[in-house]
Amino acid sequence: MGRAIVITSGKGGVGKTTTTANLGTALAQLGHTVVLVDADIGLRNLDVVMGLENRIVYHVVDVIRGKCTLQKALIKDRRLDNLWLLPASQTDDKDAVTPDDMKTLVMELKGSYDFVLIDCPAGIEQGFKNAIAGADEAAVVATPEVSSIRDADRVVGLLAAAEVPARLIVNRISPHLVKRGDMLSQADVIEILALEMLGAIPLDDQVIATTNKGVPAVLEGKSLAAKEFIRIAKVMAGHEVEAKSSVGFFSRIGRALGLSATA
Amino acid sequence: MWQGFKSLFIGKPSGEVAKGRLHLVLAHDRTGLDGGRLQEMRKEIAEVIARFVDIDPDAVDIQIETRNRETQLTVSSAIAPRNA
Repeated sequence: MGRAIVITSGKGGVGKTTTTANLGTALAQLGHTVVLVDADIGLRNLDVVMGLENRIVYHVVDVIRGKCTLQKALIKDRRLDNLWLLPASQTDDKDAVTPDDMKTLVMELKGSYDFVLIDCPAGIEQGFKNAIAGADEAAVVATPEVSSIRDADRVVGLLAAAEVPARLIVNRISPHLVKRGDMLSQADVIEILALEMLGAIPLDDQVIATTNKGVPAVLEGKSLAAKEFIRIAKVMAGHEVEAKSSVGFFSRIGRALGLSATA
Repeated sequence: MWQGFKSLFIGKPSGEVAKGRLHLVLAHDRTGLDGGRLQEMRKEIAEVIARFVDIDPDAVDIQIETRNRETQLTVSSAIAPRNA
């Protein structure tokens, strides 16, 4: 039986979809079977971030309504053998799906895939409730900004009430701004949210450039953000994280954030 | 009250200001009380205290602070000297 992980944040625009695409791709590169589920009904985006927008025929609402089989709606990523996408509908609204529908769907997917990554919509209403319904755990994405952290805190409370264990991903951290004192450090965010940390993705132009092309940054591999996505994927999958590849990066970030190198 | 807190942050690096603001905002968010309800609670607590000891009900202060997902509510009030 696979694991279902919801990528959520409360606030929009903090990088949930990019994180979902990159972690899913990285997990597939590590050899796991992965399905990405776009739970943002009505505002479909995971398909364009993955560069699979031209291949959609059916979507998640079609599956739930019984218009097509689950197999027919799944899109196979041609770049990796073991990576699939279940797109959202662009025309329905959030009420087209219930939490019970999602539970059933995710349970079925867990039977066939090692990882089911669910890209949650922004907000804490119906779409959020649907997205977390089938999840075994959550990755909360927050950028080091007051508004994002405030919303993340609200989401952490709701996840706790729903008994979904949560870990934190700090996104778009800029080591030089942290060093100058003009950005919350990774340690500050952990202290404020009191959450276990999966990793911190540095602000990286490469992510913008690869996303423009519909290619997850981890497929082009060399950027700092890509390396951290891959490291987080390894942590999620319970792989040994090699000290060597992460030490340089971590000690550099660590120094910039005023932490001692722990790797 | 907010003006008082704001003045504490002037001159600090903006990251530290953000952290201080977040501690306060999250403490309030986590109580689930909006400003009006909080004032109502403050007023009622002040009235209860005033029934037992001599205080200025307007000077009763409520502070909410949070550390490690635990939120602490502190009520403080100066008590007038007995012979005053």
